[in-house]
Amino acid sequence: MNNILEVKDLKVSFHTYAGEIQAVRGVTFNLKKGEALAIVGESGCGKSVTSQAIMRLIATPPGEIKSGSSILFDGKTDIVKLTDKEMESVRGSEMGMIFQDPMTSLNPTMKVGAQITEGLIKHQGLSKQAARERAIEMLRLVGMPNPEARIDQYPHQFSGGMRQRVMIAIALACNPKLLIADEPTTALDVTIQAQIIDLMRDLQEKTGASIIIITHDLGVVADIAQRVVVMYAGKVVEQGSVDDIFYNPQHPYTWGLLRSVPRLDNDEKEPLVPIEGTPPDLFAPPKGCAFAARCPYAMEICLESDPEIENVSAGHSAACWLLHPNAPKVERPVEVGGHHNG
Amino acid sequence: MLRFILRRFAYGLITLWVIVSLTFILMHNLPGDPFANSEKLTPEARAILMKTYGLDQPIWIQYGAYVKKVFSLDLGVSFYYPTRSVNEIIAGTFPTSAQLGLFAITIAVIVGLTLGIIAALNHNKSWDYFAMFTAIVGVSVPAFVIGPLLSYYVGVKLGILPPALWKGPEYWVLPTITLSFTTLATMARMMRTSMLDVINQDYIKTAKSKGLSQITIVFKHTIRNAIMPIITILGPLTVNIITGTLVVEQIFAVPGMGKHFVQSISTNDYTMIMGLTIFYSALLILAIIITDILYGIVDPRIRLSKGGK
Amino acid sequence: MQTVAQEKFKPISKDQNAERVVRPSMSYWADAWRRLKKNKLAMVGLIVLVVLTILAIIGPFVQPYSYQEQDLVARNQAPNAQHWFGTDDFGRDQWVRIWWGTRISLFIGITAAVLDFTIGVLYGGISAYFGGRVDDIMQRFIEIIYGIPYLILIILLIMVIGPGVFTIILALATTGWVGMARLVRGQILSLKEQEYVLAARTLGASPARIILRHLIPNALGVIIVNATFTVPGAIFAEAFLSFIGLGIKVPLASLGSLLNDGVGSMRNFPWRLIFPSMVFSLIMLSFNLLGDGLRDALDPRLRK
Repeated sequence: MNNILEVKDLKVSFHTYAGEIQAVRGVTFNLKKGEALAIVGESGCGKSVTSQAIMRLIATPPGEIKSGSSILFDGKTDIVKLTDKEMESVRGSEMGMIFQDPMTSLNPTMKVGAQITEGLIKHQGLSKQAARERAIEMLRLVGMPNPEARIDQYPHQFSGGMRQRVMIAIALACNPKLLIADEPTTALDVTIQAQIIDLMRDLQEKTGASIIIITHDLGVVADIAQRVVVMYAGKVVEQGSVDDIFYNPQHPYTWGLLRSVPRLDNDEKEPLVPIEGTPPDLFAPPKGCAFAARCPYAMEICLESDPEIENVSAGHSAACWLLHPNAPKVERPVEVGGHHNG
Repeated sequence: MLRFILRRFAYGLITLWVIVSLTFILMHNLPGDPFANSEKLTPEARAILMKTYGLDQPIWIQYGAYVKKVFSLDLGVSFYYPTRSVNEIIAGTFPTSAQLGLFAITIAVIVGLTLGIIAALNHNKSWDYFAMFTAIVGVSVPAFVIGPLLSYYVGVKLGILPPALWKGPEYWVLPTITLSFTTLATMARMMRTSMLDVINQDYIKTAKSKGLSQITIVFKHTIRNAIMPIITILGPLTVNIITGTLVVEQIFAVPGMGKHFVQSISTNDYTMIMGLTIFYSALLILAIIITDILYGIVDPRIRLSKGGK
Repeated sequence: MQTVAQEKFKPISKDQNAERVVRPSMSYWADAWRRLKKNKLAMVGLIVLVVLTILAIIGPFVQPYSYQEQDLVARNQAPNAQHWFGTDDFGRDQWVRIWWGTRISLFIGITAAVLDFTIGVLYGGISAYFGGRVDDIMQRFIEIIYGIPYLILIILLIMVIGPGVFTIILALATTGWVGMARLVRGQILSLKEQEYVLAARTLGASPARIILRHLIPNALGVIIVNATFTVPGAIFAEAFLSFIGLGIKVPLASLGSLLNDGVGSMRNFPWRLIFPSMVFSLIMLSFNLLGDGLRDALDPRLRK
């Protein structure tokens, strides 16, 4: 088995005053050992919820992982079926997680050292002293200068970038097989972003951990990931290797995403094109394709039923009616690999 | 930190001075004078009395003399009990009030925090509703309704506990419950809100993602952080407890300072009212300064920042 | 691959498509009201308050007595057909007196809250908006006032100006606005930095306009919640004053003075305590429930 993670038909809903929000509506993807996978999409597309479901961090209630979902970890354990107690021994030791905002994800009233050693003491049964030494080693590993002194400081004494390094040290302290990073660079300065991404790539090589990185920054995707999952309105609309997604995208939403960010690999001056409109209301998802209302290529069928996932090539698939043999041939926009027509 | 403490004390002193002046001004504009009630006084005797209390002097001299006396900790002599100084009366009655107040605040903190924590951990379940219903009743029904009811039904009708006075442990129970009730309820509500706030923080998610057990998360991460904002309201709550003693001592005939204060209002005992007002105010200001400092000590973000605020 | 009829693959026109994008948008207030309506306890509080207010208005006219009319023959009666809530030492009808008292207590509570609100919003708004030296001086002043225990100050004030409905309101307002001013200042300081205020300023809006049109409406949620809690606070303070002998003077009645009478005659005539404490507690409870509900409904952080 060389898949560390197999997510199959994951459905997550939140029950609120106003009704049920279907945040994730049947997501399927695999993650190979040692691979870095990026999940991209705009805010509210369900990418964070998916990552938190993998860690079982969805608060229930109001959240609920629907039956029929499965998250097979390391070929043997179905995360969805574990008891809370069993889950505790998986979290932190087998999987670690980094969150978006390093300013709020560390406990403000606890020394960073204690925040790193907690997990070590629990999962690896280390003595306080041994855990402390390991924590210092971890801090050094994540590039913290003077770790022996920094370990006894409180989070507010660190800068944002340094805090994110501490978070990475916490997440990797027990040598997890899987690291989930939920927008780890969004809240940081641009220069710091690059450092954190470099650090994560470096650590992945050293530890051999698999990574899921949630982001809406395609630059980050190109830097670190080998594979990409594109999500829209709680569903996977396209997935493939980084090359597939960047050079041979199939879904109009992916085209839209690619056209909305500047690209350095293209000589021509091209205007950035925003995706018009807003994502659908997940209280009442549309019957057809969720993207149809914003899609410039929408057809009648798109409003009536949801397209199935079609394989484009090995490891590359997309869910779009344009892939149907009966569909009219649509010329892909030039910026995302379409042909020049003069 | 030291600068912060000094600054707080400086403000405390200014506030106190404002209170002393205000008390002085207000008392000198009171309708009637302290001897108005004793109609038998001849004008001569009255003049002598005015002189002994310095009431015939120009107001500025009286003010200067008063401020000087207050800050040298002499609160003057009671008009009503001319043989006793206000200081003596405070010395005689304050320990009882302090005892009652301390009991009440201890109970309020322990029970209030526990209720709040239980409610938050069982958010939107029956324990939560139960705790919050108790708390909201506690906030809504004032001590001067609960006190007499307890005194009558538990004290007189059931006869389990003494309905009044302050002579030993069994006498302490009803006044303490009465006095702590509102504060306890406020505490429980605050703690619940604060806990719910912390539970939704990112760092709790981090703690969970480390695979810590529920108990560790609750005790090491949630409660510790949730208590921080509670410390800031301890000051105002102590103030409530202290003013509450005015009522509770009245209801249960506890021979404390509050009873004297209420009495001095009805007897127009100027010096007594002024003296006790200033003493109460000093106490309350001190309570607020102490909670501020306490907060500074407990919260590393304040403790370790240089130069106060 | 599914088989789908060929004509389904006709592209749809842009206009036709755009219509389907519509999703219900809800204004802040409509959304808050919807959330409040779902909160059963808060709605119960609101309904009880409405009922009590109506009773306070019409209650005294239902019975043929006035609040001060004495009837020494009918002293200390238990509740009966003539006197629904019984009578007091002087044979005054308790039903009339309780609703009259409710009227006065509500009046005191609401007026004090309105005054607190007005002074607090003005003071806090000005202090936060101008910032710098103005803010510094205004805040030093507040820090001094804030240290003064308000009940003690109220006691002193009332001793000087004498008890009465308006003096109680005045005394409450003198001390009550401080908390509101601090709250408003805090709210506005955090809002001030946001882009839309900057935008308004760049467009040349005057300070007054920015405060009234932009800052206050956005801080209003928290302010309303605080005001809701001020009303029971003021009612409580009035009752406290009555209890230590500085409240409304007879023959006028407030809930506080009725409670105080009730406590005195509890052993022999328990109904004299029971009825006013029920009304009093119901008012306090309802305001607290409503305040809690409003807080939950208006808190933007809880908005989904």
